[in-house]
Amino acid sequence: MIELHGVSKVFPAPNARSEPVVAVSNVDMAIGDGEFVTVVGPSGCGKTTILNMIAGFEHPSQGDILLDGAPVLKPGPERAVVFQQPSLLPWMTVADNIAFGLTLRDGRRGVDRARLEGTLQTMGLQDFATHYPYQLSGGMQQRAAIARALITDPAILLMDEPFGALDAQTRSDMQRFLLSVWTELQHTVLFVTHDVEEAILLADRVLIMSPRPGRIAANLRIGLSRPRRWDMVMDRDFNEYKRKVLKVLRPQ
Amino acid sequence: MGYSPLQRSAEPSQEPARHLRAMIADAQAPVTSKAYHGYVPWMVVGVIVILWWAVSALHVFPSLALPSPGRVARDGYVIATTGYNGYSLLANIGASVTRIAVGFLAAIIVGVPIGFLMASSKIIFNAIDPLLQFLRPIPPLAYIPVMVIWFGVGQLSKFVLIFVCTIPIIIINAMSGAKNVQETRIRVAQVFGADSRQLFRYVILPSALPEIFTGMRVAIGVAWTCLVAAEMIAAQTGLGAMILTAGNELRMGVVFVGIILIGLIGYLMELSIRTVETRMVPWKGKA
Ligand SMILES: Nc1ncnc2c1ncn2[C@@H]1O[C@H](COP(=O)(O)OP(=O)(O)O)[C@@H](O)[C@H]1O
Ligand SMILES: [Mg+2]
Repeated sequence: MIELHGVSKVFPAPNARSEPVVAVSNVDMAIGDGEFVTVVGPSGCGKTTILNMIAGFEHPSQGDILLDGAPVLKPGPERAVVFQQPSLLPWMTVADNIAFGLTLRDGRRGVDRARLEGTLQTMGLQDFATHYPYQLSGGMQQRAAIARALITDPAILLMDEPFGALDAQTRSDMQRFLLSVWTELQHTVLFVTHDVEEAILLADRVLIMSPRPGRIAANLRIGLSRPRRWDMVMDRDFNEYKRKVLKVLRPQ
Repeated sequence: MGYSPLQRSAEPSQEPARHLRAMIADAQAPVTSKAYHGYVPWMVVGVIVILWWAVSALHVFPSLALPSPGRVARDGYVIATTGYNGYSLLANIGASVTRIAVGFLAAIIVGVPIGFLMASSKIIFNAIDPLLQFLRPIPPLAYIPVMVIWFGVGQLSKFVLIFVCTIPIIIINAMSGAKNVQETRIRVAQVFGADSRQLFRYVILPSALPEIFTGMRVAIGVAWTCLVAAEMIAAQTGLGAMILTAGNELRMGVVFVGIILIGLIGYLMELSIRTVETRMVPWKGKA
């Protein structure tokens, strides 16, 4: 269970002439175990900032972030992160990148090879195990980053626009893939995106953010049946959800 | 896992079609396109030698000032076979290369850790940076009296001079490499609970490697420029000493031989650092 109580984040002014930036203002949210929650909002509304605070990279200027009741103080392996920017380590092969969490936890020799092989297989990366990240397509790199996040069995998966840089086809493949993984593992997912359709298609619940200073403007439960199919985006129910989200995002 | 869309986008595992095989073989072959341009440097050398030959044949400058290529080649042959000033050419080359190698390697061994320490601690940075910036603009020649008085006229003073001239470059590059690690990469390690030793080994050190290599490549050139200064310290052997002696005797052919050898050996050292670099940092410029 992740809880945010009255969380605000203010970044100091970068120079004397500008004002401090209120990135996130008075956010409350609670995410239950095994829930798939998406956060949607315009660029710069504070999505990454919220995710970074839950991950433990940043600390709230005000308010509390609790993980199963205990305050979040620093990053930890139970909260895996998939970053917005490419984050594979360029000096390691794909296999070493995916095994990174195991290496840090169990030592280089302690890595569970069978588990690594299995993960490579599941991710369709078995033929690229000894490649370096720069030799992979964007979609494959992101798949490897997800594999790295999942291999240590985290209870929570924090994803920051993980498919933002991918083409439509690859993105759709990755969404289905993520859902199939989640159906199997049932971990808690907090997924940040600026894509409304993606937010609705994946989520149990969509949190809609307002532009700066970022606040949660609405909380929308998605009642679409699971498993989700990509052609649901044409359903009437789906479009009803989409209309609701857009109404909050672009009030006229 | 029930549904897997990934099998489709993964590479085909069946036999590739025939027309693809040639392309695959092509991609697997070592890159040869560079070799196609291998003649360019030789052409440049050829043009320079021809120009040089023409200028000296036309006696634009007195032959004492500009010896002809043939003259330099003959001097080179003589030095290579009978030596110069009592020392064989190999002994001279060996002496210079040893001085550079010792001074330069010591600068790396000492400088890289100092750079890392400066990157990791503001206090250490503040302690060392003024000293570093103070030393940097001092020309190598200015050190000579100090070196002689402190370290004598033997090998040690030459080693120390090259060490002192190259270490600031190594330190600054190691520091900058360790400081400019991408935040995301540090966070990746933090998520998995890396301790500071693991963070250094798996993230900071490899991140800093490209800049360390850049520093080494700049420093090896500087080391050679310091060499002549170092060998002014009462040196009998070495290419720098050879050039100085020949200069005093107005043997310009020998001076040219020395200059060309320094250039060639410096170039070879740069190439070997580059080779090690592509081995150790294959991702450089690609991520
Ligand atoms: N480290 C930082 N220092 C100063 N301002 C920041 C920093 N990180 C984010 N911001 C500001 O906070 C706001 C929210 O940023 P972010 O959380 O990255 O938005 P999003 O992920 O929704 O695009 C932006 O205006 C951004 O400029
Ligand atoms: Mg963001």
